[in-house]
Amino acid sequence: MAESGAFKTLNDKDVVSTRTLLHEAIPITGTIVSGTYADGNIKNPPHGMYQSVYDYPYLSSSANHIFDITVGIGTQSGLTVASQPDKKKNIYNQMAQLLVGYDHTGSIQRFDEDGNIIGGGTKLDSVFVIPFSRLLVKDEIKKGTFQLELGVVSAHDQAGAVFAKRIQITDYSGSDGYFVNSPVGEYGVLYATASAGATVLALNKRYPVGLLYYQAGIAVISGSVFNDSVDGGILHTGIGSTCLLTDSGESGFNAVTASTTQAIATAIRNRIYNVQFNNTTELNSTIYFCRANHQEFNYSTNPTYTNASKIRVKTNSSDEPISYITTIGLYNEQNELMATAKLSEPLKKTPSTEFTIRCRLDY
Amino acid sequence: MGFLDNTGDIILDVVLTDHGRKELSKGDGSFKITKFAFGDEEIDYSLFDSTHASGSSYYDLSILQTPILEAFTDNAASMKTKLVTYENLELLFLPILELNELKSSVQRHSEGAFIVAVDRYTEDDDESSTTNGIGLDSGGKEVPGVIFGESLDRGGAIMIDQGLDTNQISTKQSIDPDLRETEYTIQIDNRFGSIVDAKGNQLELSYIDDDDIAYYVVSEEEATAVRSISNLTKANESPIAGPRGSRLAFKIKSSMDLNTSTYLFTTLGGESTLTNRTPAGDTTLLYHIDSMVRITGMNSGYSLDIPVRFVKFKS
Repeated sequence: MAESGAFKTLNDKDVVSTRTLLHEAIPITGTIVSGTYADGNIKNPPHGMYQSVYDYPYLSSSANHIFDITVGIGTQSGLTVASQPDKKKNIYNQMAQLLVGYDHTGSIQRFDEDGNIIGGGTKLDSVFVIPFSRLLVKDEIKKGTFQLELGVVSAHDQAGAVFAKRIQITDYSGSDGYFVNSPVGEYGVLYATASAGATVLALNKRYPVGLLYYQAGIAVISGSVFNDSVDGGILHTGIGSTCLLTDSGESGFNAVTASTTQAIATAIRNRIYNVQFNNTTELNSTIYFCRANHQEFNYSTNPTYTNASKIRVKTNSSDEPISYITTIGLYNEQNELMATAKLSEPLKKTPSTEFTIRCRLDY
Repeated sequence: MGFLDNTGDIILDVVLTDHGRKELSKGDGSFKITKFAFGDEEIDYSLFDSTHASGSSYYDLSILQTPILEAFTDNAASMKTKLVTYENLELLFLPILELNELKSSVQRHSEGAFIVAVDRYTEDDDESSTTNGIGLDSGGKEVPGVIFGESLDRGGAIMIDQGLDTNQISTKQSIDPDLRETEYTIQIDNRFGSIVDAKGNQLELSYIDDDDIAYYVVSEEEATAVRSISNLTKANESPIAGPRGSRLAFKIKSSMDLNTSTYLFTTLGGESTLTNRTPAGDTTLLYHIDSMVRITGMNSGYSLDIPVRFVKFKS
């Protein structure tokens, strides 16, 4: 039997919770990062520990923070750091304790090149770190979608000539080869391949050059991407290590020893050709099935529905009553209006029709 | 072979109302959706043309072309008119709510609204013949349409009758129990006043939403503000021309803010004059705020907006 009145109670079968993953493509072109706004979109905090990149001059209220760049040098890197040694060590330790965690003695573990921490192997002790803004990452970076392209022409240049030879860093195995032994969730290994120019890499293979933490939205990349094989890096000796700074010579990432974090961050920015990934938003929804059965909701309390109490849409009592739905209201037990939904056009309701309107509330 | 009609299943995105967000933010489980209703507030049913020369397919063409607005998030502004279920599909008449102004004590003021005098001075001053108050006339009688917002034992009241307003059915016929309203919601801006019954007894407040709109739910069971009028069959007993259902009667008690301060008047209102008690028919300058009291039948969903003007003596 139909419930009389204006309200209909939702039973257990009328309410269902669902979880949906939404993905957005996030492309960041190198020109925004390195020159479109003449560095008006670059903020250097006075403590000098990192550099922030915005998508528009940051003094504008329209600007959105998109990522930071910082440098971390572990105590076992073998580099003798003269500029900001403590800050670079602190950054490394901060990132490592957060992203890799501690061993059984409580010591901070180092970044591992292939993610096999227990198995030992090569560690990443000289890295630059790119924490992406939550605005871009949302709930996580979608596995297998991350791409970072860096210009690796040896000569120093900040006008784009460095992009004649490029490497592409991807988490190509991320979708099915990720790790779960990090305190901050899942991560994948970043691999570098040549993407433009001839004889870019020392060997024609994928080099593991970093780690991408999907939920944290942080990329940790080895400085070896700017070094040739003589300097312990991945680049071909034919092109040599990159000259990151005007006066650093072809020392590649080893320039970090004599330069500030923000100077190195600027140098790296000017070698970013492109960054792109897809983010993921976990959408939890409750769907309310609002069912209008044939014998329900056929009349209206709209003041225009009657004229001197007579229903306008009927001539005789045997005529079908007609009503038109434009809005759905969702109420609590006390009849307080909690949420509303609108139809795009009036929906005709008669005793000959039935509708199930699914109302989705996203959280 | 044509495509199957898939219009029977529709998915819509829901937006929380401001009150819904407030309840959700409490985190105490008070946000729980348990029922739904359908609304049709954009529809003008007078556009239904059952004499259209082109046939029945054209009767509701204008209605179906009605553009629909996006959802309002103000809970008080949405779902003002609802669709309603009655088992009987052969109803030709539906009940309405109507202001009962048959007696002077429940009439609107000649200004077109109910006037709430928010303090004793505005009601009646010092009860001398030279009073500035606007609640009494020069003969000492209560002015129709003036509700005494402080001294609740005097002054006018608001009365609403419910039933089938048609002379095609005798008042002696009983109204279908499904069509009879036994419970009402009264909405009033809580900054301005509260609802009391016709004897001045405070009615229980149901809740106040985020926009300071207070909701009072009154029912016939409580026998305070609602009573049956099925037995009233004479024409001069109700404006409802046909079978009668129930009657709601109440007064408005002015808030402490309006009673003691002019702040809300100067912020939200204006100034106007009304005739005072002096034999010469002088006028009194008043602060005023125009507002609305909404009555909604809980069973039928039918609602009625009643204009109310709160006034306070200025000079």
